[in-house]
Amino acid sequence: MILIWGPSDDPPVERTVSILRARGIDLVHVDESVLATLRYDVTLGATPTGWIETSDRKVRVDELTGIYVRPGELLPGPARTASTALLGIASCAPAIVVNRPSAGRSNWSKPFQLRLIAAAGFTVPDTLVTTDPAAAHAFLAEHKRVVYKSVSGVRSIVATLSADTDRLHAVGTGPVQFQRWIDGGDVRVHVVGDRWFATAIDSVVDDYRYASRDGADVAMAAMEIPNELGKRLVGLTQRMGLLVSGIDLRVTENNEWFCFEVNPSPGFTFYEDATGQPIAEAIADLLARGLPNV
Amino acid sequence: MIVVIGSRHDSVAAALIDAWPDAALCSAEDLTQPGWVWRPDSPLSPRWVINSEVVDDKDITGVFVRRSAVYPEEFLSTHPDDRSYLAAEAHAFLIFVLAATRAVVVNPVADGALGEEAIRPERWIPAAGEAGLSVSPLRLTSRRRRPRQLHPIVVEVVGDEAFGSAPVRSTAAALRMARQLDLLWATVVFDGRHRLLTITSARPPGTEAVGALGRLLAAPLRA
Repeated sequence: MILIWGPSDDPPVERTVSILRARGIDLVHVDESVLATLRYDVTLGATPTGWIETSDRKVRVDELTGIYVRPGELLPGPARTASTALLGIASCAPAIVVNRPSAGRSNWSKPFQLRLIAAAGFTVPDTLVTTDPAAAHAFLAEHKRVVYKSVSGVRSIVATLSADTDRLHAVGTGPVQFQRWIDGGDVRVHVVGDRWFATAIDSVVDDYRYASRDGADVAMAAMEIPNELGKRLVGLTQRMGLLVSGIDLRVTENNEWFCFEVNPSPGFTFYEDATGQPIAEAIADLLARGLPNV
Repeated sequence: MIVVIGSRHDSVAAALIDAWPDAALCSAEDLTQPGWVWRPDSPLSPRWVINSEVVDDKDITGVFVRRSAVYPEEFLSTHPDDRSYLAAEAHAFLIFVLAATRAVVVNPVADGALGEEAIRPERWIPAAGEAGLSVSPLRLTSRRRRPRQLHPIVVEVVGDEAFGSAPVRSTAAALRMARQLDLLWATVVFDGRHRLLTITSARPPGTEAVGALGRLLAAPLRA
């Protein structure tokens, strides 16, 4: 039995559910709309026991062999306490869990996660986190062109600064992360278990995710990356306690690879739709791995 | 210098600062003041802002964490629309600083979380199993339940020391759990059947624990 927890209108959730259903795999889908009425009685211990019940299914926790966790916004009231029970199951169940909740927390703090990435042996850009305008000025003067981005996991638009020094006084109102600009091509690699899917991204804007906002195009294509790099990215994902990740990289003209971020809950359909890479199929394979006779 | 990470409205934090020599509060407001400079791999000492003053990281011996999060409500002078974002940014920055400082941090960041978030049941339940301790079942249910009658046994742990009037068996188990979780300070609670009930760092430390924490946090750093 596979448990899927996430909103029905979330493309990665919707696609994973569709593929599993098409394969005839038994699953229970807990959509955000049913959280407030979810019934459950779960005891957490070395192995969790008990049950959860939606309007039409009652499932024993020890039946769960795979769990896909991609919840939406945290809801108040009974939905919040039901979320706590589901998080407890996802944390402790002896199942294939994509991904364990605690494993995703490093993404709450980008500079903290960057330390983990560097400790795993990847090259990361020179980084400054500061509220000091003078330090920001000095960093910009040293590198000539820098990127600034949020410190937290709250999504922000990545932008560059080159000579626009008038704006740096604003860092005095809250921490800002600056990074040396790396000239090169963006590559997103999705790791699923021990497989990887690399996508080359071509765009003229600083943050390709928001290219349409600026009226720019984004071209994406499946690409091959060196086998040794792919294995290292699988290792990085595992080191962070994850089974699935979306890793942002940039490769320079000199074939130097920089690693920026590991996303523990990637919206992979954006890339899958553009490249045809079977990422959702791979996630379904992974989730089904714990089922008998699969 | 000892830094207490907490809220200006936290009376426990204020009492600890009074109890420890050369201790000061680093508040949510400080996290958004000009002066912080953190650049990994730089030969220059990183800089904090503590009680509105800029302090070099090398001058800080210990950090005591009295919060699990930075809250939007702590930024009343910020426009309400921006408070949640600023709180998330300050929280993320604090996690990075606590993970990167050369000072002793009580308790260290774990799994990208701090304070009580770093000692969640999903972390201590498996650790208890590895340490050979039985765990009092933690039941989560949508059904109404009568509250359990508890007869808790409480042990305070600071480094390698334990405080309280608990039996030796409980004291040894508490020290083992703290080591297993890399905790330098914790209150470990057992039920009447000697099963682990919970671990927390939020409970105010007792007098003996305050003294031990002060010694631990003020000790000179090894080169």
